[in-house]
Amino acid sequence: MIEMFEYDFMQRAFIAGIIIAILASISGTFVVLRRYSLMGETLAHSALLGVAVGLVAEFNPLWSAVLFALFAAWLIEYLRSAFSLYSDAVLSILLSGSLASAVIIVSLGGAFNNSLFSYLFGSILAVSSDDIMVIAVFGAISLFLLLLFSKEFYFIAYDEEVAKTSGIKVNILNFLLVSVVAIIIALSIRVVGSLLVSALMIIPTVAALRFRVGFLKTVLISLVIALLSVFSGMTLSFHFSLPSGATIVLCVLFIFILSLVINKK
Amino acid sequence: MKFSVPIFDVKNLSFVVKEQTVLSSISLEIFPSEYIAIIGPNGGGKTTLVRMLLGLEKPTSGEVKIYGKKLSQFKEWYKIGYVPQRASLVDSSFPATVLDIVNMGRTSQRTLFSTLSKSDRTFVHDAMQKMDILDLADKMVGTLSGGQRQRVMIARALASNPKILILDEPNTGVDAASQKKFYALLRELNKKDGITIVFITHDIGVIADDIARLFTINQKAIICNNPKQTLSCEEMSSLYGIDAHLLHNHRHEH
Repeated sequence: MIEMFEYDFMQRAFIAGIIIAILASISGTFVVLRRYSLMGETLAHSALLGVAVGLVAEFNPLWSAVLFALFAAWLIEYLRSAFSLYSDAVLSILLSGSLASAVIIVSLGGAFNNSLFSYLFGSILAVSSDDIMVIAVFGAISLFLLLLFSKEFYFIAYDEEVAKTSGIKVNILNFLLVSVVAIIIALSIRVVGSLLVSALMIIPTVAALRFRVGFLKTVLISLVIALLSVFSGMTLSFHFSLPSGATIVLCVLFIFILSLVINKK
Repeated sequence: MKFSVPIFDVKNLSFVVKEQTVLSSISLEIFPSEYIAIIGPNGGGKTTLVRMLLGLEKPTSGEVKIYGKKLSQFKEWYKIGYVPQRASLVDSSFPATVLDIVNMGRTSQRTLFSTLSKSDRTFVHDAMQKMDILDLADKMVGTLSGGQRQRVMIARALASNPKILILDEPNTGVDAASQKKFYALLRELNKKDGITIVFITHDIGVIADDIARLFTINQKAIICNNPKQTLSCEEMSSLYGIDAHLLHNHRHEH
């Protein structure tokens, strides 16, 4: 097992993976509790559109992924608050629209094949030093904001209206939360892939909720599950030459099934 | 009225949705330390009125002032404790202990990054003691009975040390014995701690001795300064939209 850390690309992949596991599990707790699970999927596909633009324009696709995911997050939040639209329908429209646009842009730009494939399913081979830099910087900002407003996000998740009447700036914090989630999703698609990233956000929290413990313990269990999944997924991915995202997601699913068995009630 | 500065000052408040009038020209005042009950038929606009007092709905016309300020300028929301209608219907999988929920009551008064201060903990402890839920602190809120959840939600509202407590029929799913305790508790909060209480309820008979004034809401408001006095036929007609004389006579025939 130690030998895999002799490779630079594996060291980079593990650094990125650990950062992403921390971010995805902590933000995932709020995403699940706010019933934003489908939004994670939509943001991931918007981030993929950003990747497509980055690939064709030939600059680091992570930057454009972050920008596109952020824009999509604000658009979703605006549509939800400004119009009484069916929010799941809005999410579906944005999701398919983003994916279709991404495929067309990449096809027209001639950058299809391996590049886009690695962003769809994740690749541990592809994490560059630049990627690590972007993931570390944006990841630190996201984590800072999540911790800074965690008690407010928690209150809003429990009861948005009572939170509002107690003086919490709910609208601003909703925008902030979806922005942070958008950034985390965009950062994660390098390792986990856009098709699978929301699984790493959602499943550890859903598994942790099965333990029926308080908030802090739920976040900690979710964090441990995400770290275990990323670590075991990347190790298996290295040894059996499997796509990292899919392997990580299967590992997290395995832990989820275990949590169902352990907490059979 | 012996008090001069009202907590809530409502003037000509109207609320119209899809050309349907929910509330029409409501004007009322709520003063410190009052115990006010709000009654009226379902769909009569009681909850809408309370939601407008709290800034959760914008009136079509009219104005709400709170402590003499417009709602948009009011900053001291911790002075208001709100327990909504569905408060005791908790999502059983939500990861929250009783202590987690009551701690939420301190959220808006805590600074960024801060853990609970000594005074925060004192307020939380006192609120839980008052609600007699200290022994439930580590229990998951989803596992509690309706009556216990109701006390937890009120403890959360009390943890912010409010001056006014607004309760919108928080009795859903609560057994009769717990309700009796609950009414005694509201009486104590009002009489002993001087907390203003605004209580939407259907059980007006049980709390008639406790309340200072009664607001009956059905599109319009009828304010009754002596709640023990029976509403007149005209007031009943106006409130429930039926002819109260006919109802009265009809009953006599049987």
